Amino acid sequence: MTTMVSTKPTAWEKSSTWANHHRKWLFASPAMIFVGLLIAVPLGWTLYLSITDSEGSVRAESNLVGLSNYAEVLSDFDRFWPAVMRTFIFTGGALAIELVLGMCIALLLWRPFRGEKWVRVAILLPLVATPVAVGMMWRLIFDPNIGFANQVLSWIGIPAQPWLSGQYTALPTLMFVDIWQWTPMVVLMLLAGLTSLSDEPDEAARIDGANSWQRFWFVTLPLLRATVIVTIVLRGIDALKTFDILYATKGKGGGSFHEVETLNIYAFGLSFDYNDYGIASTVLILFFLLIIAIMWALTYRRKANRS
Amino acid sequence: MTTTLPTRPVIQPPRSPASAPRRRKPRAYKIFRVVALTLTVLLFIAPLVWMFIASLKTNVDIYDASKTLFFTPTLDNYDNVLSRNNYFGFIFNSFWVAFMSTIFSLLIGVPAAYAMSRFAMHRSALVVLMARIIPGVSLLVPWYFIFANMRMVGGFGVLILSHMFVALPLIVYIMISYFDSTPLELEEQAQVDGLTHIGAFLRITLPLSVPGLATAGILSFIFSWNNFMFALVLSGANTKTLPVAIFNFVSYASIDWGSLMAAAVVVTVPIMVIALFTQKYIVSGLTAGATKG
Amino acid sequence: MKRHSIVRVAAIVAATFIAAGTLTACSAGTGNDDGGSKTLRVTLANHVWTDTIKAKLPEFEAATGLKVELSQYGEDQLSDQYNVKLNAGTDEIDVMMYRPLQEGKLFAKNGYLADLSDDVESNAEWDWSDFQPGPVGSTTYEDNVVGIPIITEQEVLYYRKDLLAAAGLEVPTTMEALEAAAKAVTEQNPGVAGFVARTGKSAAVTQFSSFLYSFGGDFIDKNGDSAIASPEAKEAYAFYGKLIREYGPENVSTDMSWPEAMAIFTQGQAAFYTEADSLYKNATDPETSKVSDTVGFAPIPAGPGGSVAYNVPSWALGINAESANSAEAWKFIEWATSQELTLAVQQDGVPGARQSVWEDPAGTSTYPADLAAAIAASTKNGVGHDRPLVIKVPEAREIVGDPIVIAITGGDSDAAADAASDAFQGILDDE
Repeated sequence: MTTMVSTKPTAWEKSSTWANHHRKWLFASPAMIFVGLLIAVPLGWTLYLSITDSEGSVRAESNLVGLSNYAEVLSDFDRFWPAVMRTFIFTGGALAIELVLGMCIALLLWRPFRGEKWVRVAILLPLVATPVAVGMMWRLIFDPNIGFANQVLSWIGIPAQPWLSGQYTALPTLMFVDIWQWTPMVVLMLLAGLTSLSDEPDEAARIDGANSWQRFWFVTLPLLRATVIVTIVLRGIDALKTFDILYATKGKGGGSFHEVETLNIYAFGLSFDYNDYGIASTVLILFFLLIIAIMWALTYRRKANRS
Repeated sequence: MTTTLPTRPVIQPPRSPASAPRRRKPRAYKIFRVVALTLTVLLFIAPLVWMFIASLKTNVDIYDASKTLFFTPTLDNYDNVLSRNNYFGFIFNSFWVAFMSTIFSLLIGVPAAYAMSRFAMHRSALVVLMARIIPGVSLLVPWYFIFANMRMVGGFGVLILSHMFVALPLIVYIMISYFDSTPLELEEQAQVDGLTHIGAFLRITLPLSVPGLATAGILSFIFSWNNFMFALVLSGANTKTLPVAIFNFVSYASIDWGSLMAAAVVVTVPIMVIALFTQKYIVSGLTAGATKG
Repeated sequence: MKRHSIVRVAAIVAATFIAAGTLTACSAGTGNDDGGSKTLRVTLANHVWTDTIKAKLPEFEAATGLKVELSQYGEDQLSDQYNVKLNAGTDEIDVMMYRPLQEGKLFAKNGYLADLSDDVESNAEWDWSDFQPGPVGSTTYEDNVVGIPIITEQEVLYYRKDLLAAAGLEVPTTMEALEAAAKAVTEQNPGVAGFVARTGKSAAVTQFSSFLYSFGGDFIDKNGDSAIASPEAKEAYAFYGKLIREYGPENVSTDMSWPEAMAIFTQGQAAFYTEADSLYKNATDPETSKVSDTVGFAPIPAGPGGSVAYNVPSWALGINAESANSAEAWKFIEWATSQELTLAVQQDGVPGARQSVWEDPAGTSTYPADLAAAIAASTKNGVGHDRPLVIKVPEAREIVGDPIVIAITGGDSDAAADAASDAFQGILDDE
């Protein structure tokens, strides 16, 4: 191809020179244009719908209503704010437990032992399993009448629980499912962080007479901060946007009391059940802004801490 | 291995045994560790095992508490899923969509990641990563509307495009951190030897990046395979993928739990087999960026 | 180098797949035109009706030379698909199975459904007048026929013959008798609930509606205003809630739809259960039910307003207004709703909408005798809707369902009904 030697620059060589010169944007632009187009049009559309009273069908006539949808949504303490709360409880609660549990398991796996490969494979399985299939599996396990969970409880003499169908138990049950599926991811990330650490600070602390808890808390954990933040960011985005499992187990509306209705499910219900596209778009825009704000806060703090 | 690859922290299994200090732990800790690890593995595996067991039961046995563990296994559910409900077709659809979206995402994602890594294009990278942040619900109706007007719906095209939207940010994210950790020297050496920039990328960097490509490709395949939301509304009669087809056994007046569980097994087993054989790559992909400061 | 060969193998594999896929895609794409046979795209819900029709499809294809491409989805997934595809004005759907009471009004208002008024009159042999007027009313929008009802549903009382016999009780024919019987069974059989029914806010509305009617109420009054705060409605809410609260399963969930409620009944944990007749096979099939040989059926017990159950078309077939194959689509509908197929479907346990099939003894030959009698009673003076007939049905269901849940949990259902009535009136005023 490019190894041919000739005296006159051929068309091929000319374009090759051009391509090499512009390789930065030549390489980067297809992906950026692809994503840009697929996002820009829907986002612009959603923004537009959020200032209209579009409902029933997006092709039906609608009127511009300014920011009144935003006023309506932001003053909606029946559905919107509880959904925001649930989104945070679900994400924050699940993430916190995943981090603690993940750290414990990562510490258990840190030092080599026989059979560790199999343990790794085992914890990888929930992680790659299809969320919708997993949702169906848990729906049957947690069925209050025929489910395995209540059978296990009955073996150890605990009364049956309503699990997914209870007003106050549904959200914790779904958090449990999230923890089951995603703790492995946290384990793997923390483990990668742990093994990249140098042993020296730990050794130094040991010589100074620190016990293992002190060494973990004052030496290892601070060194892992960057890893923990990356984990929180990555896992947090996905947890905020959790959809498949909620859809498979509770469906639109999130139950009789909207007990598992997070922002994503609320927005889905608004546009796919209520056909209220104006309000749905407003909620989606606010949701999007919220995610960006959280991301920005986390990465900004990270940068601030570094400098 | 006889390769002369530079060391790349990203694709190593996340533990290098040599660096672990050899220290004697008390016996009590060892026992505790064995017990704790066993419990952990059980907790993560038990539900999946139970799903598999349920898929071998008739519906009567599923409804019967006394037959939780002791029952006569049957393959009827699998027969129902695979032959009567044409799951092989759905398996092909899922495979095809995941495969094609992975290939195309690699084609445009890897050069992009390379440029973004070498030229430190952080803002541009953010544009691509935005695809991972935006709530998918906001995309469904507009996408369908646009694609319908372009006469593109009903086939694999629209489904593959939507799954590329899932795969691309993943690939770009993983490959940026991979290229970031690939030393520049070999490329510079190649250019001294007369290769162009693009030539050096194609002939030196890319072949050296096969492990990274494998990582990114496998993960994007898995994420595409598991995708439900886009396939839910964008798939048609001939392009329905497995996660959507699971709902075949939820009908208006009955739920066929046995077949539902068999279908769930059919959906998850291929991806688990892939995970078993490519564990190393998946782990390195999932943990990409974990060790950066 | 070893790495190179990996890349090469991968590239060859990829190229092969792409080539193969393009070929299959092309052949699929051209399938439309070859041999002059047209493809008709039919979207149906997962249902016994669909299974029966699917099995007979080859007959239709042979007779008409059309090729039918069938898409099948669960109820929720079907509605999600419609919401995206019809919204975008797709012509990828020709025939569509839809729920006249849930989304019919919305679809008709949006212009998704083609006007079938001329088609239904075009074939005297097919006989449009044979369809029951109640269901037909629900598939008519502003005097235009927009759908053909295919499946009807009536609410009946499921009960356990053995438990009643053991308690020496008659099958209750009034609401008071039902309550007394539920009470007696609960007291005699620890662990068995006297009564169970749906409890989910939205899911319960349809099965509560027959209670509402039998107490003399309705969702909307003659003037088109909310009627759910009327004394009759309040009494119905309180009664339904009390039945479940006092004689229902312990720690009853307030999020049960039919799968959960049916499981309680078929596991032998409840004596009475009010539910749609279309679900009866779940209770009588030994595959899914422990009580298959002791289950009995009766009409909804009479309240102050008599025994008034709903008799509704739960599903209908319509034609997408954007379809380019509407003539062929009508051929399919005509075939699928013929007397012959309606009978076949009904014998598979799916109540249809044709009067002649109901009058034909063969039409009910596969039903338990008491179920057939209960259905006959329900169709006699049945109400044609089981939920508020508005455009925003999902929202309205959640509103009118709220007092049900409050009543079940022992709250002040009268106050809840007043609040719900205000909200419901808001929806009515909007439309």
